[in-house]
Amino acid sequence: MSKLSDIDIIGIDSGNAANTNPQENIILRIEKKNPIADLFPYLIVADNVRSLDGKTDLLVFDPFQGKDALKIKAKRGLGIEILVSPVRKLDAHLSARWLRELKSIYLLCQSNDCQFILSSGATSTNEMISARSFESILAVAGIDPRIYWRKLSEWLYSKTKARWRYVKS
Amino acid sequence: MLNHREKRRYVALMYDSSGTYQPFQLHEKIGIRFRELFGIFPMQSAMLKLYDSEFRNIMIVRCKLKYLDCFLVSLALTEPPLTVVSISGTLKKLRKNVSKKDFRNIKNIRS
Repeated sequence: MSKLSDIDIIGIDSGNAANTNPQENIILRIEKKNPIADLFPYLIVADNVRSLDGKTDLLVFDPFQGKDALKIKAKRGLGIEILVSPVRKLDAHLSARWLRELKSIYLLCQSNDCQFILSSGATSTNEMISARSFESILAVAGIDPRIYWRKLSEWLYSKTKARWRYVKS
Repeated sequence: MLNHREKRRYVALMYDSSGTYQPFQLHEKIGIRFRELFGIFPMQSAMLKLYDSEFRNIMIVRCKLKYLDCFLVSLALTEPPLTVVSISGTLKKLRKNVSKKDFRNIKNIRS
């Protein structure tokens, strides 16, 4: 799947992990640590600012939400993930606003030392977005794709539990 | 006057062949999204054109290189979802790239 989109590592939800063999290019997205996390590299994901705690690695954030709570609660090193999939259903005005908001969240991430992450939010292969398409979205939003990929790789490497070699065999 | 031919890119897109949309309808939908987001003039200038593909769940669309970013953004934000499989400067090379990937298997994978 990652080969298809030219992306080295992909994240999958814990619900789909039972059908997947642990592989080097897969990171499990879980809400809290559970036994399956021993077999995969993983990241703890929250989908609400209110449910953020010290263990959360990644926050799924809606760009149309107010950013004040995020500014207060986002700690250093937190990944802030924006999903592309909900935008497909939006009209042109909201889609264009979403593109504009991407840049403001990117700047907010930079000032708070957080990691900006753009994600497809795919639930099937057909919904996946290629690396080249991500680069186009970033470029149109005014974000340099090269800096984005470099920072994302560095951030992912800094997350020990997201590294394959720390998976218990 | 220089005999200048603008560069083009051919994009192979994977779509859900079991869905309700045919490639020509999807091509129309991409055009509508492109126009909504970037305007009529860029959409016309991009010269989007649909090509035949020998793969059941793959469609090929041509776009001017200058508007490739706009086209890819429109694709990513189009409903139903489409995945870019390969991009190439020539149709021949694109078809070769696509044939290297085994789509019979890819179609059934659920992430």
